[in-house]
Amino acid sequence: MNLRELYVKRRGQFWGEILPYLGYVIQSGVAVVFLFLLIAFAAWYTALLQQVPPDLPIRWIMLIILVPLMINSSIRTYLRTADTVFLIPQESRMKEYFRMAWFSGVVYKIIGLALVQLILWPLYIRSDVSPKWLLATFAVLVVFKLLSSYGSWKEQLMVSKNAAAAYRALRWIVTALSLAAWLWHPAGRALIFMTLLGLTYIAALSVPVKHRVAWERLIAVEQRQASRVMMVLSWFVNVPQREQRVHARKWLSGWGKGLAWNKASAYRFLLIKSLTRSDILGILIRVGLLGAFLVWATRDTLASAMVYLISVMIIGLQLSALRKLHPESFWLHVYPLPQGTRRDNEGKLIFQVQLFWAVLLWLPLIPEALSAPGRILGTMAAGVVLVFLFRSTAARKSRREEDDE
Amino acid sequence: MSEQPVLSVQGLSGGYSINRPVLHDITFQVEPGEMVGLIGLNGAGKSTTMKHILGLMNPQKGNIQVQGKNRAQHSEAYHSALAFVPESPLLYEEMTVREHLEFTARSYGVSREDYETRSAQLSKMFRMEEKMDSLSTHLSKGMRQKVMIMCAFVARPSLYIIDEPFLGLDPLGIRSLLDFMLELKASGASVLLSSHILSTIENYCDRFIVLHRGSIIAQGTLKDIQEQAGKPGMSLEELFNVLIQDGNGE
Repeated sequence: MNLRELYVKRRGQFWGEILPYLGYVIQSGVAVVFLFLLIAFAAWYTALLQQVPPDLPIRWIMLIILVPLMINSSIRTYLRTADTVFLIPQESRMKEYFRMAWFSGVVYKIIGLALVQLILWPLYIRSDVSPKWLLATFAVLVVFKLLSSYGSWKEQLMVSKNAAAAYRALRWIVTALSLAAWLWHPAGRALIFMTLLGLTYIAALSVPVKHRVAWERLIAVEQRQASRVMMVLSWFVNVPQREQRVHARKWLSGWGKGLAWNKASAYRFLLIKSLTRSDILGILIRVGLLGAFLVWATRDTLASAMVYLISVMIIGLQLSALRKLHPESFWLHVYPLPQGTRRDNEGKLIFQVQLFWAVLLWLPLIPEALSAPGRILGTMAAGVVLVFLFRSTAARKSRREEDDE
Repeated sequence: MSEQPVLSVQGLSGGYSINRPVLHDITFQVEPGEMVGLIGLNGAGKSTTMKHILGLMNPQKGNIQVQGKNRAQHSEAYHSALAFVPESPLLYEEMTVREHLEFTARSYGVSREDYETRSAQLSKMFRMEEKMDSLSTHLSKGMRQKVMIMCAFVARPSLYIIDEPFLGLDPLGIRSLLDFMLELKASGASVLLSSHILSTIENYCDRFIVLHRGSIIAQGTLKDIQEQAGKPGMSLEELFNVLIQDGNGE
């Protein structure tokens, strides 16, 4: 069996499934909004470069933006459940297969990293008192990106999940310390520190016990990554959903207990449980917290309204994925749910959660309410209007789909 | 019997393609308080028959009624009257065992008090008390199957459609299931059960329907089938072999 060919074939199959949807993504209004946001960002960034604020904490900005990009080392293996039977005989040769996966994952991420570095660079050289050289910084980023990818791969092979989690934390620390050393200290001293730290990290990676191929974990990770691609596509177009990662989130297990005990709210109960334990909620929390922070940081300017509305919009888009979680659910065909309750429950829950976030994101603006009441109340009103717009658009789409059926 | 049958299947023909029906003119009934075994080889049409009853497939010909109601006109009442246990567990990965039972109870309109009583009884009977708050992803296959059975039993409809329930269950689980089915039967519920463990269901089912290549080749009590096959005193397993060989023209 040619494992390299198998990898290329599987990668082709997956992207062959995705590409037909890209046309719809480009045609959709949301894509236009993103393009508009990109243009708005370009305009804002150009203005910022022309008048860079004094004392801009540029090293911290570089660190906060670049470290997550250096850490992100997801690798698409395209492994399938049946591989635990049919590919196990090839286990000793699987390095060929994974080498392909590793390289194609790393190359794209390095290109992305270079792009972000190039965007940040004009701001960096204008703000830093003693900026480093462009190519040397790129080399540092690439070396630690490769080291992070190597570390991430080794983490996936570790037998103990706790050890893998500890090594993930170590990877964050090593990457952040190395980049910080490069940004804050003279190049020579920083390089010595980074080399010693990198070598110690590589030596530490050899300690934990590892599988030759961690089949089940790699398959679970692959399923998660494929479902994320589908989830992003589902913002724009109807796509078949794949299994999502499930998070226990015991602290939220009480949500849904207070629902009215009747058939009409049974589907709402299921939706609440799905939302509670899905990736969607994690993204909502991250977007919400980041949005709230940015709204607070820009609270004395009109930009806060823009950030606020964009955050409410992203939350609405994320929540729309909830509609795609159970379209073909077996039990929803078999159980005696009253007609129409699925659509009603979906619409109502999504509306309420989006409205909740719209209010929450607005709270950081309250300190400005006395000095600029019109702007602050207007922002809130625009947010509420946006939430209602999301609801009416979704309801219209849902009715149209029902008519088509 | 003068009572209305719980399930009535009349002249059912159907399948995945109009030109190639899998089921041919299937007719049978399940009476209140009756346990009927649906038996046949792999691919005989047992699961397809069940899918038609559940409304997952539409008949090409014929009519299916549950408690005198058909699905097209009385969808909610039709589905309220039946519960299904599939051959392979189909669970929501994001829900715990307890939440599956609660979702089922809510969907069937079971009162909160009844749900709590039944859920406690079932978790004890199937030795799942310690797993009630576990996510379904953390359960073994046998435990997942137990959840499916518990969900069907928490609803307490008048008809249970049960497809290969013994797969993956441990011996104690099989015993609990059979005992509970007898209890339900005694309370007036009906069961349509498909299984390949003929020696077990021989002692539990009142009647049997033998499907072969999408057609019923025999049905009735064990005695009726013995008479139809001309083999008095034979066990269900032996009779089944004889009928299938005759059906194959061997």
